[in-house]
Amino acid sequence: MRRNILSSVAALALAASPAMAAGTITVITSFPDSMTGPIEAAFEAAHPDHDLEILNKKTSAGVKYIQEIAGDNTADIFWASAPDAFEVLKNDGMLAAVDIASEGIPEKIGAYPLNDPDGYYFGFAGAGYGIMWNERYLKANDLEPAREWSDLAKPVYHGHVGMSAPSRSGTTHLTVETLLQGDGWDQGWAQWKRIAGNFSTVTERSFGVPDGVNTGNFGLGIVIDFFGFSSRASGFPVDFAYPTVTALVPANIGVVKNAPNEAGAVTFIEYLLTPEGQAVLLDPAIMRLPINPATYAMAPEGFPNPFEDATIGATVEFDVETSGARYNIVNSMFDVMITYRLDDLRTAVGAIQSAEGAYAKSGNAEARAMIDEAWALIDANPIDEAQSLDPEFAAIFTKKRTKADDEVGERQAEVEQKWDSFVVENYRKATELAQQAAGM
Amino acid sequence: MERAGIQIEDVHLSFGDTQVLKGVNLDIKPGEFFAFLGPSGSGKSTLLRAIAGFGPTPQGRIRIGERDVLGLDPWKRNVGMVFQSYALWPHMSVRDNVGFGLKEKKMPTAQIRPKVDAALDLVGLQHLADRMPNQLSGGQQQRIALARTIVVEPEVLLLDEPLSNLDASLRVQMRRELLRLQRQLGLTTIFVTHDQEEANTTSDRMAVLDGGVIQQVGSPQALYDAPANLFVAKFLGTANILEGRVEVDGPEARFVTKTGDELSLPQGSKADGSNIVLRPQNIEIHREAGQNALPGTVLHKEFLGSQIRYLIEAGGTEIVVDQSHSVGLDWYEVGANVHLRANTSNAVVL
Amino acid sequence: MSQQTTTPAAVRAGLADRLPVWLVPRVSGLHVAALLIALMLVGLLLVPVAQVMIVAFQDPATGAATLQNFVDFFRTSLFRESFWNSFYVSAMSVVVATAIALPLAYITTRFHFSGSILIQSLGFIPLIMPPFVGAVAMQLIFGRNGTVNLLLKDNFGISIPFMDGLNGVILVQSIHYFPFILINLSASLRNIDRSMEEAAQNLGSHGMRLFRRIVFPLAMPGYIAGAALVFIKVFDDLGTPLLLNVNNMLAPQAFLRISSIGISDPMGYVISVILVVFSILSLWASFLFMRGKDYATVQKGGGGMARRTLKPGEKVLAYGVVIFILLVVLSPHLGLLLLSFGTIWSFAPLPDGYTLANYVTMWENSKTFIMNTVLYAGIAATLDVIIGTAIAYIVIRTRIFGRKGLDYLATAALAVPGVVLGIGYLRTFHSIDVPLLDKPLASWWVIIALALMIRRLPYALRACTAALQQVSLALEEAAESLGATKRRTIQKVVIPLMTGGILAGFVTSFATAAVELSATIMLVSSNNDAPLAYGIYLFMQTPSGRGAGAALGIVAVIVVAIGTIASQIIIERDKKLKSSGDVH
Repeated sequence: MRRNILSSVAALALAASPAMAAGTITVITSFPDSMTGPIEAAFEAAHPDHDLEILNKKTSAGVKYIQEIAGDNTADIFWASAPDAFEVLKNDGMLAAVDIASEGIPEKIGAYPLNDPDGYYFGFAGAGYGIMWNERYLKANDLEPAREWSDLAKPVYHGHVGMSAPSRSGTTHLTVETLLQGDGWDQGWAQWKRIAGNFSTVTERSFGVPDGVNTGNFGLGIVIDFFGFSSRASGFPVDFAYPTVTALVPANIGVVKNAPNEAGAVTFIEYLLTPEGQAVLLDPAIMRLPINPATYAMAPEGFPNPFEDATIGATVEFDVETSGARYNIVNSMFDVMITYRLDDLRTAVGAIQSAEGAYAKSGNAEARAMIDEAWALIDANPIDEAQSLDPEFAAIFTKKRTKADDEVGERQAEVEQKWDSFVVENYRKATELAQQAAGM
Repeated sequence: MERAGIQIEDVHLSFGDTQVLKGVNLDIKPGEFFAFLGPSGSGKSTLLRAIAGFGPTPQGRIRIGERDVLGLDPWKRNVGMVFQSYALWPHMSVRDNVGFGLKEKKMPTAQIRPKVDAALDLVGLQHLADRMPNQLSGGQQQRIALARTIVVEPEVLLLDEPLSNLDASLRVQMRRELLRLQRQLGLTTIFVTHDQEEANTTSDRMAVLDGGVIQQVGSPQALYDAPANLFVAKFLGTANILEGRVEVDGPEARFVTKTGDELSLPQGSKADGSNIVLRPQNIEIHREAGQNALPGTVLHKEFLGSQIRYLIEAGGTEIVVDQSHSVGLDWYEVGANVHLRANTSNAVVL
Repeated sequence: MSQQTTTPAAVRAGLADRLPVWLVPRVSGLHVAALLIALMLVGLLLVPVAQVMIVAFQDPATGAATLQNFVDFFRTSLFRESFWNSFYVSAMSVVVATAIALPLAYITTRFHFSGSILIQSLGFIPLIMPPFVGAVAMQLIFGRNGTVNLLLKDNFGISIPFMDGLNGVILVQSIHYFPFILINLSASLRNIDRSMEEAAQNLGSHGMRLFRRIVFPLAMPGYIAGAALVFIKVFDDLGTPLLLNVNNMLAPQAFLRISSIGISDPMGYVISVILVVFSILSLWASFLFMRGKDYATVQKGGGGMARRTLKPGEKVLAYGVVIFILLVVLSPHLGLLLLSFGTIWSFAPLPDGYTLANYVTMWENSKTFIMNTVLYAGIAATLDVIIGTAIAYIVIRTRIFGRKGLDYLATAALAVPGVVLGIGYLRTFHSIDVPLLDKPLASWWVIIALALMIRRLPYALRACTAALQQVSLALEEAAESLGATKRRTIQKVVIPLMTGGILAGFVTSFATAAVELSATIMLVSSNNDAPLAYGIYLFMQTPSGRGAGAALGIVAVIVVAIGTIASQIIIERDKKLKSSGDVH
């Protein structure tokens, strides 16, 4: 009897362990099941000898995971949206350079080069950031959809906007960086903080934003396009628009260094770039922009085509190197200035907005000066662009000790505490000034 | 302190379909020490709890002093009850336990302290006032429970098997102390027990209960000597019960056992009853046959110190006979044929 | 040399014979069992946690041992604020959970109240929903534009910020964790001898005064045990604040810092250390408080708590209160149910339409998740009760050196946040390969089951300890005096008598393991290995998957609820069986 139990447990154990097919390709991806599912099905139908093993992790967790297991790597492919995440992996030597054969794929999507020049990762689909809104919510609150980033900073949207944090979502990081590059460091951050003053929440996951808009928890969200398209395709009363300043960026795929099945990995990537592989992207649950222009012939009506509509994502020349150099600094600044101090920021911006309202009636010059001073306090950054690009400074955030006697001047906690005191004090002063100005 | 009597009239009580009290009538006099005696499940505790106001409300009438208390909440009855488990609250000190009832009566703190001290003094445990209950022995807990109850000066004191959790020697000591306290305070007291010795030694009167019915009420001696029925006879002390019939022949009467042996009864005995109750100490053992004697065989004997207890098969049953022991008395061996002579002058026929 | 002649069959028989030695320890084997358990706890708990903690004590620049990181922690205003927020949320959750649990416990134990068992079972259900799923459903019901607020806005023009910021965390946490208080408090209340109450009534006390002065103080140990659990779980919990986008608390700060790209700063680890230390301190404080206050007051000649019959007016009130509370605590389930049958639910009090399609989608895609869950939680719970019983026996019945340490170590798992354990496992077991399979132990599915086993061991241990305490030593001695060996005695007498408690431990471990996410999210190395909670999480990451995720959540709740109610019935029956042999 006991032996029976033991053997049945053993049988269960075998049944539950993944099939060890010769062609197993292990994929670490941030893409949801609804996207990987159809692609996996199509790929396995086209290549029956291969078995795709999907492991879903958030981009940042996926990067962390690959770093953690690097000593004894079991993953073949890293597959995610954010090019920056690939930059991080590439710089850490976690990716392998491979040759991929494809046809009919252009060099760029929008203004963005599709593939890593060194061949470590490859674009397979395009995506751009934009604004998504819930029509019922806007109607109930008597609002118009915002079309441009600057619209989101308008007082009418106070408390109605949602966004994820760049440190939590690679694609959100892209959006933040895009605006910083498009408008310039100071102008860009000022814009972000004025928009963030209208935030209802900063979500922990990038999907938290479309989710919040879909349920009507907040009215407008800063999201990547396919979230908007697929939400609409699922039947939610939502819509999506690209603002002028946006970047179309490729979603990427790369082979992990020391992959157990590198040949299989290459087969999968090549399949993804074939016309059949690209066509799966138009599945209603996926809705990503194919990078093969020919595939758009199959697209549903109203689906944007960046290869024909030149206005989409053409304004910003996205500089991957700049982005990579200050990746962690931007994340940390966003968290310190916005995510963790959202209440203070929201209060301050709200106060300034009402002061502006009061000024519009009174026209009091003294009030104007105080309002401007308050805005200046909000806009002020703890570091300038030059410092953000200083590799020594960036090292505080990325330090990896290679030798025991490596020295790093300051600790990240110290720097962040300085920033935190800086913004908390500024927001407090701004709130005070705005309240005074409103009373004039 | 006012002495209150308790009148119980036609009290019925059921738990679901089970009738636990079936028409109980009792009149307990002020200042009396009264015992409820009966086996488990006889309804004695239920009756006591009904007086205190616990459990479902019975039908009938219960009066304490001049008050009809039936249906009254327990906290309005002014009845003091000591629980079998003592029910000392483990989270309160001895002093807080004893002072609890006074505090509930909103007595000023300054007056509570001397009262608590007096009550603890009464049970001789003033020195333990600041202990916690789990630091006390069983006997001490018992006294604290008693002090806690009498400090509020209840009209009647109810004791629910108060001695059952104590060991034998302590039990004897405690029951004397209970009696002393009761006499000193003059409290009308009801004492529930399944131990006849406890009931006999303490109570003025007692009620024997069985099956939710009062079998007999009276002084311990009266009940022992003149049990009203077989249950009472058997429950109080050891009773030999022989089955048979009464034959009346003019003024003469005799009891004929199943085996045909005859025992003469006092003149004028009535003809009803098919059992005769013989107490073990009222039977003598003889080797030779004689008047009013039953032939029998010794089955077993036990030496009890002051007595020798024999088990003898006679009259169609097994009869217990106690013989006083004295030096040099010879014993009847197991298997010996003997004759039992019963003193039937005050034997009870039921 | 004679051993070499043994046949393979005999070897196998010998092996089968030897296995139960550690499954069911025998007298000389008890030491071996204690040692094995100690090694297991060190290997699966102490070492992995230490692997995470050590980073907190290293200078990030030099790797030298330092306390500088802790100085940085307390110098950082954000962390001080997070610490205070975590403390505030935990304390308030205890308060709100008490407000929910106290009336339920009081009404179901003190009065003749039809449906008491049902209420007690329903009261357990919130515990078996993954908190993050609860948070999603709660947003839909109580959120800024959830059902309640939309109705309030339409009808009265007001809205109540139930779910804003820390409020939301407190609400979701108290609804999720109040069963800990309900279960412990109810047990305590039931164990109060009725004479305790009657003695007070007899002395003139009644109503609220009676409750305040006698009943509640006597139930205090149970209440404190439950409240301490709630406090610690809320303090450590990660999923709920993250789902509600609340970042200014310790656990999310730790997670955000540990899991973000490139951030190799030690603050996340410092926070982990602080979480663990603070949890252990809270546990310790509650133990200190309860020491010497074991008011197991059911005594010889007494009965359980006296149940009163309610007057008609009181009955209406009691039902009103119970129904209101149940409605609130089951609102996540109602929300989830609606979501699972709904088509589109957006900015509306209820879904636009209803469909079964979500269940079809769910069923097509989640068989593996369900199978995996049953396998993992089953293994975890089985190991938990075996180890729990062994530890309980060693602690209570033997004088083996260090037995208390075994108890403390197993209980300490309670204080280790799931994320910390998950990261520790990745660190520790990644370099160890599984023989034959040729892959790291950290990515083998068994590690998930082991993590769950460690996480749920404290629950099983408490249940087994309680069960063993109720088995009189005399019963064991009787068996031994009749010639049974220690091992036979444990097998034939002790364990059968503990069945009810062991089963309770199994169900608690199984049910809570089945919905655990925080440790597993770090350890799942392939979607094929993913358990149910992870499956729901995956579904919920897509606009079209919400309904299917909700359907999977409903399936989880139903499966676990059936198990719970069944075990309640078995435990009740077991209780009756035991008490029937107990009449005096």
